Amino acid sequence: MSTIPVPATESTRSLRSGFLRSTEAHPDRIAIEVAGTQLTYRELHAEAASLAATLVAHDVRPDGAAGGLTAVFGQRSVATFIGILGALFRGDGYVPLNPTFPNDRTQSMLVRSGCRAIVVDEGATKLLGEVLDGIDDSLVLIFPESEDVSELADAFPSHRVLGRQDLAPASDWKPEPVDPNALAYLLFTSGSTGIPKGVMVAHRNVNAFLDSMAERYAVTPEDRFSQTFELTFDLSVFDLFLAWECGARVCIPTQAQKMLPAKYIQDSEITIWFSVPSTGVLMSKLRMLKPDHYPSLRWSLFCGEALPAEIVEAWVDAAPNSTIENLYGPTELTIACTLYRWDPATSREDCEMGLVPIGEPYPGMEVLVVDEALEPVPAGETGELLMTGSQLTPGYWNDAEKTNAAFLVPPGQDRLFYRTGDRVRSALGDRPMVYLGRMDNQIKIQGYRVELGEIEAAMREEAGVEVAIALGWPETAAGADSVVVFISDAKADLAALTARGKARLPAYMAPREVRHIDTFPLNSNGKVDRGALKALLSAD
Amino acid sequence: MDEKAIREGLRGWIIDRAGATPDALPSDQQAILDDGLLSSLDIVEFILFIEDLREEEVDIEAIEPEVFNNIDSLVEAFFPDAKSVSPA
Repeated sequence: MSTIPVPATESTRSLRSGFLRSTEAHPDRIAIEVAGTQLTYRELHAEAASLAATLVAHDVRPDGAAGGLTAVFGQRSVATFIGILGALFRGDGYVPLNPTFPNDRTQSMLVRSGCRAIVVDEGATKLLGEVLDGIDDSLVLIFPESEDVSELADAFPSHRVLGRQDLAPASDWKPEPVDPNALAYLLFTSGSTGIPKGVMVAHRNVNAFLDSMAERYAVTPEDRFSQTFELTFDLSVFDLFLAWECGARVCIPTQAQKMLPAKYIQDSEITIWFSVPSTGVLMSKLRMLKPDHYPSLRWSLFCGEALPAEIVEAWVDAAPNSTIENLYGPTELTIACTLYRWDPATSREDCEMGLVPIGEPYPGMEVLVVDEALEPVPAGETGELLMTGSQLTPGYWNDAEKTNAAFLVPPGQDRLFYRTGDRVRSALGDRPMVYLGRMDNQIKIQGYRVELGEIEAAMREEAGVEVAIALGWPETAAGADSVVVFISDAKADLAALTARGKARLPAYMAPREVRHIDTFPLNSNGKVDRGALKALLSAD
Repeated sequence: MDEKAIREGLRGWIIDRAGATPDALPSDQQAILDDGLLSSLDIVEFILFIEDLREEEVDIEAIEPEVFNNIDSLVEAFFPDAKSVSPA
């Protein structure tokens, strides 16, 4: 595998390096397209440099600290992408905050990340009051789209408020070397105890990933990338930074375009498509996978949840010039770390339970499939998937206990591995590795990783009960469409509880329904029998 | 079904799906995507609901993303014949 060279302006390689190199090589090519606005590499570079210089001028890092974190609160706006690049130009990692998440959750992520500066887009500005409510530390609030911030300054007197006119000139930005071990981004994922976990991803991790991808997909400046993921979902890093590594264009769909992915692919002339399989399922249900509909696509990539073979078969017909790959990987192993290329002639035989295999590890990554004692199982046997290699991230932010539990040295090994919690059948001869399900109560909803324990913790608190059981329902081949919660409290106002769940949890985690059950069914171990609860739901 | 019933049906579905109260959607001009009342997670069921109301399939290729802006644009795109009945 070749390593992408560092641009002339950089002494070390970090996540920003590819963008800088592409700016040198293709300054006038389009880097990003957002709701009809196009920015060239030169223009986006200038905006990011201006923001980075502003972050330096209003230095908010703790004394002597290098490689801090900057939060970016926004969605699908030019300011959001300027915020991400500006943070990286400054030498910080970025922490994406999602305006569609409940404000309490966003505040918790902001506080726990320790960010002292936030870049806020126009859409997120109206939410900022609630997010900052009760935060005593003085923060730097930057609104790159707002010319006049006097009202905002009045609204947030304990913070430093900067608008577009307060930004430093781009020429003030002087790139400083970035430690490859410093954080490129910090992403919060669902946590089983009710508190989201912050996954730290270092520059060296994500650059190893990008090296593999750039070589495999032979991306050119002519390519146009889709961008179907929220920025709080690490798969978004693929679209943005692989495109920018190679001088290509990222086409950001508006919320309305996201409703109609077929039109988005056609109108934006997408060549590299990347989505969760659920988007393919959605397109199939809405009759969008008709033969020869997407001739512009040359790569169609799916990741984030189990991929049903029937969707791939429909996609093959709809995008006849496209090669399809199934990618697999948890955030802790940097975006994706195994893949399987679909061969229309032979791949059906490789599928198990109608699901496409997850295939082979990326270059620089290593697979270990183990039994309950963490001992390797024979080839072709079932066990938990452990992985290690260049994409193994440093662990969880400020949480040594969880890090030590998930990142460990298995017996007989001499390196750290990450326990994925995924049950797989290991490869045997020509038979590729297949995903069989989770070892625990984690599920995937539309590709989002959801710990049912986190929903249960939230709903126990809301209902004031000792036990709440959450189930992914209705189940799909790829995971589940939604969540149903059971509680045992005949007096509870179930509709009100459902509404409180929706207010407290992100939309993809919020229970669609809260149900009452007189007594929880128990299995032979005395645990709540989730299978029996699913049978109740099936009976409806 | 007249336009008033269609508007009430759409409003009720969106509010219910969002887990919101009716005051979250005070007018038929209010943005339903940008204000987070509806998302792409809801699209399949929403289209199926619209098809139930119309009693015929939606030609998905003929619609523009902007039809999801608000209830006015939904009614105009999916129920053009209902426009003859004045809303209350």
